[in-house]
Amino acid sequence: MEHNILIASVGGQGGVTLSRIIARAAMRLGHRVVVGETLGMAQRGGSVQSHIRIGGYVYGPLIPEGRCHTLIALEPAEALRAAGYLGPSSTALLNEAALPPLSALLGEEPYPTLEEVVQALSRIGCGVHHLDAQRLALEAGSRRCLNVVMLGAYLAYLEAERLGILTPEAAEEAVRETVPSRYLEANLRALRLGYEALRGTL
Amino acid sequence: MSEILGEEGEHRLLMGNEAIARGALEADVGLAVGYPGTPSSEVIQTLARVADQIAVRAEWAVNEKVAVDIATGYSYAGFRALATMKNAGLNVASDTLISVAYSDVRGGLVVYVADDPGAHAGMEEQDNRWFTRLSLLPMIDVSDPQEAKDAVVLAFDLSEEHGVPLLVRSTTRVAHMTGVVELGAIKKVGRKPDFKRDVRRYTRASPMWCREQHRRLNEKLEALSHRVDELEVNRLHIPDGGAERGVVASGISWSYLRETLDRYGLWSEIATLKVGTINPLPRVLIERLMEEVEELLVLEELEPYLELHLKALASEIEVRPEIHGKMDGWLPRVGEYTPEGVEEAVGRLLGYRLREEREGHLEEARRRALKLAPRRPLPLCPGCPHRGTYTAMRMALRELSYGDGDFIVTGDIGCTILGMHPPFNLCWTEVSMGASIGLGIGLRYAGVDKPIIAAIGDSTLFHAGLPPALNAAWYGSRVVIAVLDNRVTAMTGHQPSPTSGYTATGGEARPIEADGVLRALGIEHIWVADPYNLEEAKEAFKEALGCGEPSAVVLKRVCALVARRLGLPPQPHRVDGERCTGCLLCLRTLACPALSLSPEGKAEIDVETCTGCGLCAQICPTGAIEGGEP
Repeated sequence: MEHNILIASVGGQGGVTLSRIIARAAMRLGHRVVVGETLGMAQRGGSVQSHIRIGGYVYGPLIPEGRCHTLIALEPAEALRAAGYLGPSSTALLNEAALPPLSALLGEEPYPTLEEVVQALSRIGCGVHHLDAQRLALEAGSRRCLNVVMLGAYLAYLEAERLGILTPEAAEEAVRETVPSRYLEANLRALRLGYEALRGTL
Repeated sequence: MSEILGEEGEHRLLMGNEAIARGALEADVGLAVGYPGTPSSEVIQTLARVADQIAVRAEWAVNEKVAVDIATGYSYAGFRALATMKNAGLNVASDTLISVAYSDVRGGLVVYVADDPGAHAGMEEQDNRWFTRLSLLPMIDVSDPQEAKDAVVLAFDLSEEHGVPLLVRSTTRVAHMTGVVELGAIKKVGRKPDFKRDVRRYTRASPMWCREQHRRLNEKLEALSHRVDELEVNRLHIPDGGAERGVVASGISWSYLRETLDRYGLWSEIATLKVGTINPLPRVLIERLMEEVEELLVLEELEPYLELHLKALASEIEVRPEIHGKMDGWLPRVGEYTPEGVEEAVGRLLGYRLREEREGHLEEARRRALKLAPRRPLPLCPGCPHRGTYTAMRMALRELSYGDGDFIVTGDIGCTILGMHPPFNLCWTEVSMGASIGLGIGLRYAGVDKPIIAAIGDSTLFHAGLPPALNAAWYGSRVVIAVLDNRVTAMTGHQPSPTSGYTATGGEARPIEADGVLRALGIEHIWVADPYNLEEAKEAFKEALGCGEPSAVVLKRVCALVARRLGLPPQPHRVDGERCTGCLLCLRTLACPALSLSPEGKAEIDVETCTGCGLCAQICPTGAIEGGEP
């Protein structure tokens, strides 16, 4: 078995924390795990990609071209940057809420709509599901829970596909282990909201 | 409990740099000292977090050379010391390191250097394996977190047994990769400080002594070269039935190769040699492989270091294999390797495709998706004090009637360089730590008669900016040194700098003020301003630009991310929709990530992102933005 997850995000959205949660949950279940991160610099606002690789002959930190199974995009346009890793057997889970850079806000550069992103990914052949994770995160208590909303959505996807990569119990344990205690309640709500939101659409 | 403090035999999920830190503990390191630099910084950070639970001193030095100086003194006294740095950091440390190679180290001395193929951190793709040729020092190159940990333990043993400093090298992909590591035992040997005067070993005062030391260093390497073939970091695998083709790999390329051979079941077809010791090379294993195969592929990122050495060794044996790598164009010398690139090269060696040909329409769909992805230049963080500095600098230049191109801003290393991006468009150059000031002096000597501002951060100033500042004072060079003093080494992850007032382990330290130091160096005209106060900062720049002598403007305000971490409560500002005319001057001038556009076309502030720096309130022409004092 080889299962490759790519998390695409904008610095400050919690993509790296999400990769840590998933890796811890997978390790808890006895899987072999390797995580590769393009951390770059400490600022907020740049593109960040985390590669989580689970399974037998996984040694390197990078997903080989076209071998990503699940793309979790915390920002819709960031999903496009992962195109090289995607193929007809990939599935993309997108947060709908966009974070356009300043040049796009001022109308100086184009910024793709959600429909354009979905269409571009579909053309590669991958399945696409999307949800308004930002709204759900705010509902859970803080926008900082956005990453865990997407984890909940990922669990719903795994359940629907009958993939035993993670269990809800292991994921919840890993959330408890990783997030600061003052945000724990909000994050557990976020996990549930993300799960329910995606399950409702599958 | 920290992940790295597990018991012997436990399995932990560790990042490459955390594994290096764990290795240091298992090797009885008493001191870890370095200068922050991506991708090496997490080693000291990790050790600093456990320093109060285990007897290890972890700290940041002013620069890499000072770090190696300190580590050397510690080693001379009989203790084990680790020094850490990024690729270019080794250039700074090399003066000491090349000299120390001639002396016998006593306690083990290991230098960890993290290179950056792919230039993820935005500097040169310097291949430090070549430093072994310059310094003669031994080096181990690692390919995953487990090996990184084990290599540190091995390096300390070898360093102490042979009396020579060792280098452990990784790259970004290894340093920042997380994998499962089986922990070894944490050793603690009782040591007592003991250093005896022996000038024939510890000084270079006589040419005869130097030559003798040089001879001894060569002898140490010769002795080491007889051991490396037996070390586990070097592994030769020849399939039972023999093989016509072989692959030599080191570093992360080894991980990509293993994956390829596993995936396609090729271990029985290809002989492999994993090279872990870059110097000395495992000569016996290399020769055995070259005698076995007819064709050989070399997998190594950046320069053809192994390839050249293999070709040199091949010239000494009778039946030479054909060697493929970078020199015949099979693989690139620029950028990092990828798993699919390695797959392709292995396929080429075998003479057939390992994976089906890429379908044209799939390629095209990927290209179109990538083209649709918007550019996302790194912005300054919300509340970044540099935003105030660069805005005030622009305002001052405009009020003095200097248009774009009428002035020069030399930039430096760190977050301060982000002033080069729109809307500031300020830094013109980025060379090396502290270079902004010397470049300014040189431009002035060349007859450039525009205002010249050297923009440098506090940590960078103390690292290598003080000597050029002294030079400017000495010769009266008309350069304005803008010290963007955010009280921390920010870009690498907020490690303390001499201005911070605390140490790596959170202990108290005396904050050193840049203005005081610059004054002592002979810069007589110095202004101190708060970059959150645009008027004050602008006036300071105007006066400095007009003073006609070497001058400095020190802009003091703690990094906004550090302020948040210190628990200083943010005071978000808000936009009064009635008064906002939608001119968007705030967005255009400041490019703050907390600012965006409301559906009605007016400015909007995100309360979770806004730190309350107040710059937008000072910019707004209609007074539509309100909030408390920052």
